[in-house]
Amino acid sequence: MTALPATAATADAPPVLALRGLQASYAGNRALDLTALQLARGEVVGVVGANGAGKTTLVNAVMGWSRGAPRLAGEVWLNGQRVDAWPTHQRVRAGLLLVPEGKLVFAQMNVEENLAPAVAPPAEPGRHVYSRDEVYALFPRLHERRRHLGGQLSGGERQMLGIARALMMGPRALLLDEPSIGLAPRLVDQVLQTLRTLAAAGLAILLVEQNVRAAIEVVDRLVLLERGRMLLEGPAREVGNDPRIADAYLGGAGVELRA
Amino acid sequence: MNLLQQILNGLVLGHAYALVAIGWTLLLGVARLVNFGHGQMYMLGAFVTWWAVVKAGVPYALALPLAMACGAVLGAAMQRLMLRATFEQNLVSIMIMTLGFGYVIHGAAALVFGSTGQILDTALSRREFALGELWLTGQDLAIVVAAIAVFLGLKWVLDATRVGRLVRMVAEDPKLAQLAGIDVRRVYYGVFAFEGAAVAFAAGMVAPRTPILTSMGFDEVIMTFVVVVFGGIGSVKGSYVAGVALGLFTALFGALVSPAYTTAAAFVVLIALLVLRPGGLGAGSAGGVH
Repeated sequence: MTALPATAATADAPPVLALRGLQASYAGNRALDLTALQLARGEVVGVVGANGAGKTTLVNAVMGWSRGAPRLAGEVWLNGQRVDAWPTHQRVRAGLLLVPEGKLVFAQMNVEENLAPAVAPPAEPGRHVYSRDEVYALFPRLHERRRHLGGQLSGGERQMLGIARALMMGPRALLLDEPSIGLAPRLVDQVLQTLRTLAAAGLAILLVEQNVRAAIEVVDRLVLLERGRMLLEGPAREVGNDPRIADAYLGGAGVELRA
Repeated sequence: MNLLQQILNGLVLGHAYALVAIGWTLLLGVARLVNFGHGQMYMLGAFVTWWAVVKAGVPYALALPLAMACGAVLGAAMQRLMLRATFEQNLVSIMIMTLGFGYVIHGAAALVFGSTGQILDTALSRREFALGELWLTGQDLAIVVAAIAVFLGLKWVLDATRVGRLVRMVAEDPKLAQLAGIDVRRVYYGVFAFEGAAVAFAAGMVAPRTPILTSMGFDEVIMTFVVVVFGGIGSVKGSYVAGVALGLFTALFGALVSPAYTTAAAFVVLIALLVLRPGGLGAGSAGGVH
């Protein structure tokens, strides 16, 4: 992979993440029925929708992971490789990382232990395995708190720690489940802007967000889920101005996008 | 004089209890599993050691790792069969299954080793040390040293090594551990193999103190249960303290009150403790292994 010019490589490259006919059901109730969704390198895609629309079910299904016991079907492709039959830890090692909602750090371990990778991620082209110094540079707050237990961290610090741990596994695609929940507005901006920085470095990001207004600011494309189905998909600017989004999530005003 | 000898006996017995219980402590702390076949695995470890030393002429120092290897394989095989129930944390099924494994091990051992009592004699158990009027055997001394070494070793592995960190991650939250890239199934296999090897090692060390029978195991599983619960679930330090305390209690109660009621008395203490301090001695930290 040395001689290929970067542009040719990206043109031929498969999407980082591709989902086809992804379905999940809990005890016979279909919670997710997604026809197709793709993520390219360096792209941030936001998933929005009401409570119970299937946002969390979607990112969990991509990982083949859940704290419940859903029945899954459909295809998950990571970097041109089909991974939906793989156990979760194998998808993680291949570069598919999820920062889950709720409990996302080990409460009884300090920040440094939380960050130490469980397995050394393979050095592959297209994967940047962040070092501890790099994630500390990205989140200086974690460096200050490195001797504190996960359970002693604030909500924002936990999000940073969750993202930092994922980065140290060398993600190809990073899935985030409501990183802004419970955070102060200033922190929401900080966490979301960090995602923009990561995407600029080539990472593909799937961002589940309840805070549609904040999400629109950072995503390239927006997906609206309703009852497990994709209702809308398109560039953030267009979808943000769609009345179905504007009325339900933005108070009918539409969005004034920053250039 | 007599009291000092009883305290010494109690210390040896206590280290024996702690050593027998260590595998279950880890099992409970990491995988939240119980193993009521623990006593029969102890019996099997004792008989494999006995068979290797007496029948096959293997030196005692080699018979121990042989028994540990058998214990580890047996533990991993049991885990293979219980894996689904483990992931579902179906404790009732696991309790019944491990109880069943215990009976199967007992039956198989009786077929292979017969049902007569045997004596596992080691060079250490024939050697006696006297200090004034106090005495103990070389085997007693070896039990104390081995128990301390195993506990310190396990604590060190858990606190300071990569494997220990993975094990603690799985203990705290197996689901989150999967997202951190850990093959949780392998950790469960490893923990159960450790349980099998540890109890076989304990059997090889402790069994020379008494005659061995294929029908034994009940006392061991009960005492282990008391130690593990008393020590606080998943607490390595706690189960060491609990083992030694239980040994002292058993020896002194046997000497001062009546040896016939020691098991019953141990249970009275356990029940009282659970009422007063439900988390056990090592309580304070919320679950996990430490």
